[in-house]
Amino acid sequence: MPDFAFLSIAELGRLLREKKASATDLATYFLDRLERIGPRYNAVVTVTRQRALTEAAQADREIKAGKWRGPLHGIPYGVKDLLATKGYPTTWGAEPYRQQHLDTDATVVERLGAAGAVLVAKLAMVELAGGMGYNQANASFTGPGKTPWNPGYWSGGSSSGPGAAVAAGLVPFAIGSETSGSILTPAAYCGVTGLRPTYGRVSRHGAMALAWTMDKLGPLGRTAEDCGAVLAIIAGKDPKDPSSVARTFVPPPRQGRGSGGEDAKRFKVGVPKGADKDIQPEVAANFRAALNVLQNRLDVVEDVELPDLPYGAVAGMIIAAEGASAFDDLLKDGRLSQLTAPEDRTGGYAALAVSAPDYLRALRARRPMQRALDDFLRQFDVLAVPTRNTVASPIDKPFREGWPGVTGGANVIGPTNVVGVPGISVPNGFGVQGLPTGLSLVARAFDEDKLVTLARLYQDRTDWHKRQPTIS
Amino acid sequence: MISRRAFAEQLALVAAAPWFLEDLKPVQQQQQTQEPSALAKALAEGIRLRYPDRFTPDDLATITRGIDGRLRAIERLYQTTLTNADEPDFVYSVYRGAD
Repeated sequence: MPDFAFLSIAELGRLLREKKASATDLATYFLDRLERIGPRYNAVVTVTRQRALTEAAQADREIKAGKWRGPLHGIPYGVKDLLATKGYPTTWGAEPYRQQHLDTDATVVERLGAAGAVLVAKLAMVELAGGMGYNQANASFTGPGKTPWNPGYWSGGSSSGPGAAVAAGLVPFAIGSETSGSILTPAAYCGVTGLRPTYGRVSRHGAMALAWTMDKLGPLGRTAEDCGAVLAIIAGKDPKDPSSVARTFVPPPRQGRGSGGEDAKRFKVGVPKGADKDIQPEVAANFRAALNVLQNRLDVVEDVELPDLPYGAVAGMIIAAEGASAFDDLLKDGRLSQLTAPEDRTGGYAALAVSAPDYLRALRARRPMQRALDDFLRQFDVLAVPTRNTVASPIDKPFREGWPGVTGGANVIGPTNVVGVPGISVPNGFGVQGLPTGLSLVARAFDEDKLVTLARLYQDRTDWHKRQPTIS
Repeated sequence: MISRRAFAEQLALVAAAPWFLEDLKPVQQQQQTQEPSALAKALAEGIRLRYPDRFTPDDLATITRGIDGRLRAIERLYQTTLTNADEPDFVYSVYRGAD
């Protein structure tokens, strides 16, 4: 059978359209890889073989009959196991929910199904999306997520399975979720592309809630172009999620010719103060090299400073209060004690001391915060930062002991998550232990087209996203 | 040297998602070694009374430190000036079903 493992969505789609492969061929190929390789990285919870073969057979019938549903028709994918799917457990990565069956498909799964995509796996995640305060990699009943680049190191969280599965060529793309860093971090640690959409751009219906006002769903894939193609399918208003917004996403068209394949637009890029100071040297060097790759298309403004506002305090209060409420049943009946990470078994209780006025204070403070950050971001097309200030942490140590002494970098993940603006992380090289690093771009709300355009331009000029780990 | 304000902010982030700023070792170590406030201890005692048979002394110490971190973060939350007109960023909508 041909090697489909590391082909992009566009490349796989071409094989399908040219009848060089069938959807069943692709599904079978990736199902076999998921079963054979997935356990090495603790990346998979459930392989959905029966459903996949049924969906693939339907896709084959339709394609044969000339009914082409679009770029995802017949393309296999996986979802983080916090998305409800009919016929299979939805475990939220947590022992208390290991046998949970939700007899519905999340809206995202419905939309991907309607586009002809083929669900092949429910992928591993940090238990309860990390809401109980885990501080080391072994925080899921599937074990610590391992990056395929070096299995002694973490795949990142909480979308650990989607990151590792895409990196190891077990799925062409996957859906993850981010409350505060959970798409961009595994994208960076696994050397894949991750797109965190604007809050409300993608329906959360059928997804486990950690913090209702901060949770976002988005794709991880090989390229920015692939992530844009997936976002175009899953974005849009959903009556089942009142927070969803009526804004579709159209992938930005390629314009012009030549290297980069884009028109001559220059992008004004802000680099936050301290973004590459006191971080791992390789991470800093890769960040500067990435900006250099794009230099003829960028106007870089150095040392920009985000408005001085209590992003962390607001985010902490919101996640604590909403998380404690979302999982109040676990707190009440004591099933937190069944969680894998010892710190998760007690981490949720401190949130019971959050008062309602304090939570509401955080929600009131967030509105002026949104305006201030939007006013700041409107000065630029994007902000650029290293996605993380180090490569992945070792799986056998608490995070704080993983890379001692690295204390620098600019905190952008927290502020941008608390106000809900989009971000993308693309692989931009390697650091110590052969581990990948990431370049993050952040933009104003609903400016995902700028993120995809600039990330695609970067990937047109580099091949970091085409590198493949040695699958041992 | 880290400012008191920056420390409170970083502490709040650590409380929100400890992995998320694993580079903040000094902050976390400071949090580990500082004596929790009397209010944190009292609030932790309230949680113990709510679930009297659930926690070991180590569990309670962890919970108390967690509460202490949140209380410090709350200080920062109240340094932002808000007026009576600043409403929470959600809108309640009245419901009327089919007639």
